[in-house]
Amino acid sequence: MRAFVPGIHPRSEALVQATRDLDRGRTTSAAVAEQRELDFAAFVAAQEGAGLDLLSDGMLGWQDLFRPLVEAARGLDARPLTRFLETNTFYRAVLVEGEPRLDMPLPPPLLPAGRWLATLPSPLAFARAAGNAVSAQALAANVLAPQIEAYARAGCALVVLSDPFLAREGGVRELRAALAELPGGVPLALQLPFGDAASALPECAELPVDAVGVDFYATSLDAVPPGFPKEIIAGVIDSRSSALEDPAEIGTFALELAGRTAGGVSLAPNGDLQFVPEPIARRKLAVLGLAKASLEAAA
Amino acid sequence: MSGVHFVTREIGSLAKPSWRVKAFAGRPIEESDLAEAERWGKRLAVNAFERLLALLRGGELGPAELAEVDDWAVRYALALLERAGLDVVYDGEQRRTEMYDHVARHARGFEPRGTVRAFDNKYYSKAAVVEPPRIDAPYDVDEFRFVAAATDRAVKVPLTGAYTMVDWSFDEHYAGAGRLGASSEHRYEARQRFVADVAERVILPDVRGLVEAGAGWIQIDEPAAATKPHEVPLVVEGFNASVRGVAAKKSMHICFSDYRALWPAALALEDCFELQLEFANRDSRALGTRDEDRPGYAETLRLFRDHGYPNVGLGVLDIHSDYVEPPELVRDRILYAADVLGGVERIQVNPDCGLRTRSWDVVYEKLASMVAGVRLAEAVLDRAHAGREPA
Repeated sequence: MRAFVPGIHPRSEALVQATRDLDRGRTTSAAVAEQRELDFAAFVAAQEGAGLDLLSDGMLGWQDLFRPLVEAARGLDARPLTRFLETNTFYRAVLVEGEPRLDMPLPPPLLPAGRWLATLPSPLAFARAAGNAVSAQALAANVLAPQIEAYARAGCALVVLSDPFLAREGGVRELRAALAELPGGVPLALQLPFGDAASALPECAELPVDAVGVDFYATSLDAVPPGFPKEIIAGVIDSRSSALEDPAEIGTFALELAGRTAGGVSLAPNGDLQFVPEPIARRKLAVLGLAKASLEAAA
Repeated sequence: MSGVHFVTREIGSLAKPSWRVKAFAGRPIEESDLAEAERWGKRLAVNAFERLLALLRGGELGPAELAEVDDWAVRYALALLERAGLDVVYDGEQRRTEMYDHVARHARGFEPRGTVRAFDNKYYSKAAVVEPPRIDAPYDVDEFRFVAAATDRAVKVPLTGAYTMVDWSFDEHYAGAGRLGASSEHRYEARQRFVADVAERVILPDVRGLVEAGAGWIQIDEPAAATKPHEVPLVVEGFNASVRGVAAKKSMHICFSDYRALWPAALALEDCFELQLEFANRDSRALGTRDEDRPGYAETLRLFRDHGYPNVGLGVLDIHSDYVEPPELVRDRILYAADVLGGVERIQVNPDCGLRTRSWDVVYEKLASMVAGVRLAEAVLDRAHAGREPA
């Protein structure tokens, strides 16, 4: 049973202070970049220490799920501040000012080839963030596909497509058409963070992805169709709670879930860990590792 | 004199002056800070501001001197809002750390947990509730009394609402064990108990203290109100429990949310004078009073119109941009609202939200422009009412 941590990781207090100082003209971008590298190294070490199977870079330079892609792509801009789901965190909605196209993909993280995962917005989430001013299919073909190809060339082992809207608003058919535009060189997972996936799950079984991520703090175990054919990335760490999970409870839950699915189970948080302070995220990451270890020991 | 008059107000926070920040952080006050204090003292005609300069130049600042610095920050903030021309003011929350932290640190039952990002390089402190929260005594009364004594304008006291305190807190008490795979009813019931306790044991005692001290207008800030649409009834329960039986004008401020979720639950708000909402953030900067000119206003204003309750505090300034909305743009936003609502009686005017992320220079320009735009709108409406031209 694999375990990993997709999404945006919280910044350390040192990086928080550095970015605050940058905004106030008290430090330099180079100093912030240096602190970000330290955060990156610490996060990678924490993942390795917890025995996670795939490493993430924590997206420490990403302001939100869309921004770096928006800034790198032609035809897109970011402006209106928009609440991210049910949180007190905001993203800048995507403005479409021309035909979107990503000519220069974002650089891959410095992680060992074959052992790292990347997180990107799902094409449907991207289109929703743009107020549907451009189709998910166009964003998949012209922005996400070149980025995924670049990641695949750099040894990415899994691309997690995060879709915070699908469980709430539907749109599986539109998503299916968009996913068809994506390259096949790297496994794809669709993650449905912070939402009850009950109504979406049956249709997700038919999507051209290798795994589906489910928030089990908002979704009942009973909502997983018996014999679900794809791998379930079980959101068993609650990224919106400071309370630490019990590895034994996670283990029991994971085994029960595994008994309902045909595609296997992996363990992950139910969304970006950036919604808890960094010290808590670090402890939750360790709990994830303990849960995985206890399952392996039991096996 | 104008026949139509829109009351102009701020919403809450202003940035703290550098001299106030450095004084409380124990950092040296530099010449540039003194220059800022002097520049704004002169620009705003702050009475006896030279005493602040002397205080800041006086060397080490102990608790008594820091309290004086705080008082000066309030006088400056009030002067900024007054000189910009607002009808209703407060102190820019100069004495408060931040809207959430201010309550959490005054109430028992919350423990700090660290920093979470709001957006870009902006963050907020977040606490966890570890036992039923309560306060020992009202904590904003002295702040209010100082403001009331320092201004001749009407005063509106902003207070963080019960639901937002709940939504922005981690829950290490009410949710309990067994959350993994738990039912939605279990989660809702835990939230309901948490909201009720904050409203009745934290907010209401503070409100009662303020009103006994003479506060005539309580603004409950609920920026989290619509973030979980199925929990909007809890927002309403929290508001009602926080101000129940209080003899003062009561209103609610909400921002950066999907306002469609507020109705019909908002109809159960008890004696809520108005909802002050953010609109400008999502609007076009083009002039005009047609639906297509005002995409940030159309849908929400129709909700106000269709439901008929409560009134609207119309946000006309984007608080996350240094762009200074021209008076003509403010005018058109107001005229559009008057058109959709079929009159001016339900409209008052304010920024989208607190302006603490903007510099004082930008804030002053924005607010002054807002007031100028309000006067333009009033003139247009007066002429229309006189039958000389359509509004």
